Amino acid sequence: MDQLLQGIFDGIALGARYSLIVLGFVVIYRATGIINFAQGGFLLIGAFLTYNFSQTWGWNFYLSLLLSMIVTAMIAVLIQLLLLHRSLKEISAGVFCLIFWSIFFYNGNSHLPSLIVGIFVGVCIYFLVKKFEIRFGASQSNELPIFGSIIVTIGILFVIKQVVPSIWGFAEKNMGDPWGFKIVKVGDLVFTHAKLWTIALTAIALLGFFLVNRYTKIGIAMRAAHFDHEAAFAQGISLKVVFATAFGIAGAVAALAGTATGVGIAQLTPNMDLIVFLAFPAMILGGFDSPGGAVVGGIIVGIIQNLTKVYQPEWDLDWLGVGFDRVMVFIVMLIILMIRPYGLFGTKEVHRV
Amino acid sequence: MANPSKELKVRYQQDLMIWRTPLLRAGLLTLLFLYILSPVIWESFVVTKFLDDIGLTMTTLNYAGVFAVGAIGLNLLTGYTGQVSLGHSVFVGAGAYFAAYAGSTWDLPFIVWLPGSLLVGFLIGFIVGPLALRLRGNYLVVVTLGLVFLGDHIFRNWKSVTGGSTGVSVTGASLKIGPIDFRNFEVFGHEFEKSQSFFWLIWGFVALVALLVKNIVRTRPGRALQAVRDRDIAAEIIGVDLLHYKTMAFAISSSIAALAGALFGVLQSFISPIDFGLLVAIQYIAIIILGGMGTIHGSIIGALVLGSLPRLVENISRDYDLPGVSGDQGGIGGILSISSLNHIIYGILIAAFLLLEPRGIAGIWMRIKTYFKTWPFSY
Repeated sequence: MDQLLQGIFDGIALGARYSLIVLGFVVIYRATGIINFAQGGFLLIGAFLTYNFSQTWGWNFYLSLLLSMIVTAMIAVLIQLLLLHRSLKEISAGVFCLIFWSIFFYNGNSHLPSLIVGIFVGVCIYFLVKKFEIRFGASQSNELPIFGSIIVTIGILFVIKQVVPSIWGFAEKNMGDPWGFKIVKVGDLVFTHAKLWTIALTAIALLGFFLVNRYTKIGIAMRAAHFDHEAAFAQGISLKVVFATAFGIAGAVAALAGTATGVGIAQLTPNMDLIVFLAFPAMILGGFDSPGGAVVGGIIVGIIQNLTKVYQPEWDLDWLGVGFDRVMVFIVMLIILMIRPYGLFGTKEVHRV
Repeated sequence: MANPSKELKVRYQQDLMIWRTPLLRAGLLTLLFLYILSPVIWESFVVTKFLDDIGLTMTTLNYAGVFAVGAIGLNLLTGYTGQVSLGHSVFVGAGAYFAAYAGSTWDLPFIVWLPGSLLVGFLIGFIVGPLALRLRGNYLVVVTLGLVFLGDHIFRNWKSVTGGSTGVSVTGASLKIGPIDFRNFEVFGHEFEKSQSFFWLIWGFVALVALLVKNIVRTRPGRALQAVRDRDIAAEIIGVDLLHYKTMAFAISSSIAALAGALFGVLQSFISPIDFGLLVAIQYIAIIILGGMGTIHGSIIGALVLGSLPRLVENISRDYDLPGVSGDQGGIGGILSISSLNHIIYGILIAAFLLLEPRGIAGIWMRIKTYFKTWPFSY
């Protein structure tokens, strides 16, 4: 019995992380209609920024976490504005900014002046392209298909996954969290501080999101955009702002999820973003467009995965191999999808011919 | 009555022809010559010698050929039927492992194990296909992504067949068709190298598969598949059996992928689960996007570009000291390793092509063609 309860508790702690990751997916999906594979990249950036603030620069851990959430949100918004907006002037401005930044950096300047030069060049290019945009616009009129945007986010993920270790290195790192190995014991159950804090922080973040989504103007705008882009646009809602906000929220929760994943001894690695792929079943289970489903799905998947891990050796299922718990959630996902093709809480799409 | 214009088609068969104009027929002849002569002249002719020096060796071309086979298969599924598969590497892996097991352990001849791995791919696609009936769009993308993890787990844990994480050798698989052995190919007493004979083998299969898929897409089944892509409910209403066509698209596409896997196995002569991960699946998607969705020549061009790109980058960054790129894998001396640079170029290429030219290289070619056809009236 204790084993079961312990398994469920650890599962909830794991599921809390999944919920955060999935929330990022869901928010972006609701606003823009794409699955943002770059979420794994945001998670990496967030985790390593927290590490950088708290360990390298020695700041308070909670302050670092908050700062990293803000900075990651800003990076996510920038990526959305520059790369997923599909406007030539913004893309070329961004690309040239990066190119000149790196050229100046490698010629021996430090980051700040190179960045300023990069931004200057980027702004120049922006106006240059703006002037000639009509001339370039061979494929401007047709919209980038949804599938296309998804692949673009995969491209962004590739780039981030290479850039992050090039800054911080490949070695495993300690996050420098204040929790360490402290535990709370209730009967035979062991609650580590890190897990309790993960659950608490997740709860706070989710509560914050639901309040924003329910009561603020931007939350209502996001919900309106989810129903119908064009109708929302016609009512005076700026889709640009909605998209950017969605990416900002996703970046912030990804930073929180990344930090929660990276706590502990030598847990912070550049391969950490794999957890994002494990969060996919959670997203499917809850349904793509349901924030509530994200929480429920995340926790269910976390519990299933953890219980599989606990009971696999006990029930003589070792022949299924090491790491079967991670596959198990995909199998559960498949079964649920066969019964309910839009997940547990997802909106059914209406297909018109 | 004589046909007044060469452009005017008076019979339906003319519209279906693959090599329609004299120019195209000349192109076919050139390709045939290239196919036969390339391996012989590759290291002695000036232009090809230069290509060889910058990294476009016979071996690189062979890998590109394997990618081309798989990409044509994926294009049938994604480009023509509109069913996105992020799990294509699993089908490729299944074919490769079957080739390794049947060729080495069971010691079957080439003409048995190759169709065998095609059949394995077909069966797996046949099982996966019906999923596409229930799911569409993003849900299908994620489910096929799940297949990659499922496949990876099986490849790593079914140790008796796949050799676990370390992998398995494919050198035992025979490559004999009658008197011809592609491992040491001989013509009139002249013995060719492995890379040369593999060129004939692999690019022969590229031509075969391209012809097969082209024939599928220009006849009735192909039109049905394209109707499914454009609007599946509408297709069903006009009498396209969705279960049949979606399942068959998956099955054929995955059996072609398995063929690519088998060829990949004998080419690389050692396979491990890393060769069939998510990265490879995305590579295939990248190839058909870069080349052009829903075109067969596009997939081949895309495979040539993306298949040889890593080698080119490697050679160029070795010869010319690129800023910030270190010579070896560890990232010492520069901020990026060569493989990271490769990934970055990959990512940027995918994103750039999707943003600026969603119809890929084939689309660029199309635009150039239209420009000259309608010159001097550009619209």
